[in-house]
Amino acid sequence: MKRYILNSFVAAIILFAAACKPEIETPAGSTAGQANFSKYIAVGNSLTSGFADGGLYLEGQKAAYPNLMAAKMATVGGGAFTSPFFSEEHLNGSGYISLTALVNGTPTLTPVIDKLGIRDAAKHLDKYSGEIQNLGIPGMRVDLAFDPTFTFSAANPYFERLLTDAQVGKTNYFQFIQGRNHTFFSLWLGNNDVLGYALNGAVTVPTDPTTALTDKVTFSSLYANFLNVLTAGGQKGIVGTIPDVTAVPYFNTVTVAALLNAAKAINPAAAAVYIQTGTGTIRPATAEDLIRLPFQSEGLFGKPNTAGIPYGLHPLNPIENKWVLDKDEVIKVKDYVNSYNSSIKSLATSKGLAVADTYTYFNQVKTGINIQSVGINAAFITGGAFSLDGIHLTPRGNAVIANVFIDAINAKYGSTIPTVDITQYRGVKFPDK
Amino acid sequence: MRKILLSALLSAPLWVLGQGFQVNLQGQKQIGMAGAGSALALDEASVFYNPGAVTFLEKNSVSAGVNPLLFKSAFKQTGSNVTEDVKNKIAPPFEFYAVWGPKSNKWKLGLGVYTPFGGLVDWGDNWSGKYALTSLNLKAIYFQPTLSIKITDRIGIGAGFVYNHGDVNLQRAIPVNFPDGRSGKATLDGTGSGYGWNAGLYIKTLSNISFALVHKSKVITKLNGGSAEFEVPGSLTSSFPAGNTFNAELPLPATTSLGVGIPLSKSTVLAFDASWVQWHIYQDLSFDYATNTPALVDTKSARNYRDGSSFKLGINHQASEKLALRAGVGYAFSPVQDGYVTPEAPDADRYILSAGLGYTPTRHFEVNASFFFEDVKSRKQKNIETGLDGTFKTLVYAPGISLTYKW
Repeated sequence: MKRYILNSFVAAIILFAAACKPEIETPAGSTAGQANFSKYIAVGNSLTSGFADGGLYLEGQKAAYPNLMAAKMATVGGGAFTSPFFSEEHLNGSGYISLTALVNGTPTLTPVIDKLGIRDAAKHLDKYSGEIQNLGIPGMRVDLAFDPTFTFSAANPYFERLLTDAQVGKTNYFQFIQGRNHTFFSLWLGNNDVLGYALNGAVTVPTDPTTALTDKVTFSSLYANFLNVLTAGGQKGIVGTIPDVTAVPYFNTVTVAALLNAAKAINPAAAAVYIQTGTGTIRPATAEDLIRLPFQSEGLFGKPNTAGIPYGLHPLNPIENKWVLDKDEVIKVKDYVNSYNSSIKSLATSKGLAVADTYTYFNQVKTGINIQSVGINAAFITGGAFSLDGIHLTPRGNAVIANVFIDAINAKYGSTIPTVDITQYRGVKFPDK
Repeated sequence: MRKILLSALLSAPLWVLGQGFQVNLQGQKQIGMAGAGSALALDEASVFYNPGAVTFLEKNSVSAGVNPLLFKSAFKQTGSNVTEDVKNKIAPPFEFYAVWGPKSNKWKLGLGVYTPFGGLVDWGDNWSGKYALTSLNLKAIYFQPTLSIKITDRIGIGAGFVYNHGDVNLQRAIPVNFPDGRSGKATLDGTGSGYGWNAGLYIKTLSNISFALVHKSKVITKLNGGSAEFEVPGSLTSSFPAGNTFNAELPLPATTSLGVGIPLSKSTVLAFDASWVQWHIYQDLSFDYATNTPALVDTKSARNYRDGSSFKLGINHQASEKLALRAGVGYAFSPVQDGYVTPEAPDADRYILSAGLGYTPTRHFEVNASFFFEDVKSRKQKNIETGLDGTFKTLVYAPGISLTYKW
């Protein structure tokens, strides 16, 4: 009996309290403001497509920042948002790299090669037909979007898979994005116009247009063409600035100091790391020279050549130019990024568009920030924002960037798109063994 | 070479104490009066409220009571459209008192066992602030033997020694992911102890208006060798070694109260208490792990609490010989400054409302019941340390009951 009374007492309290929940009002209510999100399209490159860990695969596609944004836009009049997802059977898409071991801080990266969406021996990817609104294509550049020869539409497998056989080699990206009856757009493009050059150690391969550096004036005029067609029907939209390419782990993980320490551990007499610069000069490397991430797994460093001179530790066997973004090249790359960004910002302003300043944001990430109790920084693997390729974003990084876009849209158009809860999205997956 | 050292993966877990953890539930009669009553020799709960008044109690007595407490907190991230609530969990603040002294003598002995600080919040394992905290269960149980002496017929002093037994269990998610995408988890669990004192002065003037001055000292509670368990992917176990322990310190603040009791009639009395809670001792919170790694370093987090205060007004009306009715209102100022609000204690200034009744069926027995309600103001905050950004709103409900035997 006593127990019964006690239990009903407790039950009564719980019922009472459930009915007396605290309420938190949102003063602004729920509105699209001056924008219309009923048909949103996302124009861009790998970042827009959800490319991560060196590949395009279903999990990354689903966590792409436009997809996260579109889900939130739904509460303020946004419609469906379609993406060229790989099928569940082929969910690993192009394949990607995963972290399979981490011993004393040394990562082992292993390609994922099952459940691929590869349709033929020539490694063409599974075709996707049907309407899409996430128009991000890995590798897309502002200059190549206007490719007059149309060869890029056949050469880029991510673009090729979205085209009908009749379109392959007959269209370019600028044409591809048009005629989609959108009411709102995002445009985050231009990274590869400088990144392609930087990722190749600032070496332009004449036969490979993806390693070229797009001329500043050309960039500005082509970018204006994009904005003209995207706003042709008076549509509102948002553009993203280009992150400083030197803010990504790809260029900040294998540091000159780390290499020198490793060399000294073996030979205390090691005095300097030698590099060959873009101008052909051979000199000791400094902290201002950036080494590309893949160098660490190449097994070159310290390896003696036929004359017995260790690689990278002697003027007669320096680290080759293609592995290094030397000090002067860094300055050049930064200059191009700044120029592109000032074009992007002034063109967007003249069109009355919102600007997501990802350049500024990524520089904050580089220093390290705490968002909703999650520490995020630009460290490789542990930083949380960058995936295992050291360039593209994790789902967590995408969620953070989605909020940068959402905040800029809301500020510009008076809308109240809810922000994304970044704590629901993962960083790098660590092996459980 | 080729070694990529793990940078600091997390700042180590931490907790804070706020007004939210000061539990103002130490005697059913006083609770019914919003916590006022230090200047009234109401009952054996004076052992807590004012040891100086204990000697003025007419009878010897023992009593025990409980106040099942529901801490209903809600959070909405800035910019989000989702409101998240804590789970319904009932914390059990309790009190036990005994007072004894030879009749018509100038002194009395007292013992109090009560829970002046505590917290029970469970936000669930997957809420948007999970990397700051998922749950906290904190209990501080004070044991207080007391001596109270009449200096004159109208002035009493009393003092007690305080021993605190503290229990803490804190859990939070760690932003490292398993292959299936779920997050890591940290659980800190420890017990500790601390010492302090509680002393009071009680003065009954010729007009029968009474005054109280009470000081409860700070109690620095040391937690030594608490267990620090980390559930992380296997490849990170060297960064979060198994069997780790931690030391920490919980500074529970001193409180100085000034009380006034004003008899309005033979059957009605008004009580007013003003309290100054000296939270300034809580400047930072440090965690010292037995085993450190580059990912798990000792932490020292700024808290920068200022002093808090509260003002409480209560009324006690003896409706008949057997029935007493009580009510109270109060207001408390939070010690937590902007930028330091956390989900452990989503603190803000608060309103207090209370009601109570007492029933005395026989000369020896007494039953008292109370209902205590706090409305903690909505507070929009971005935490300086963690970046947790959103609005907290809290309501507290605590019904209570106690039984007393007097002789």
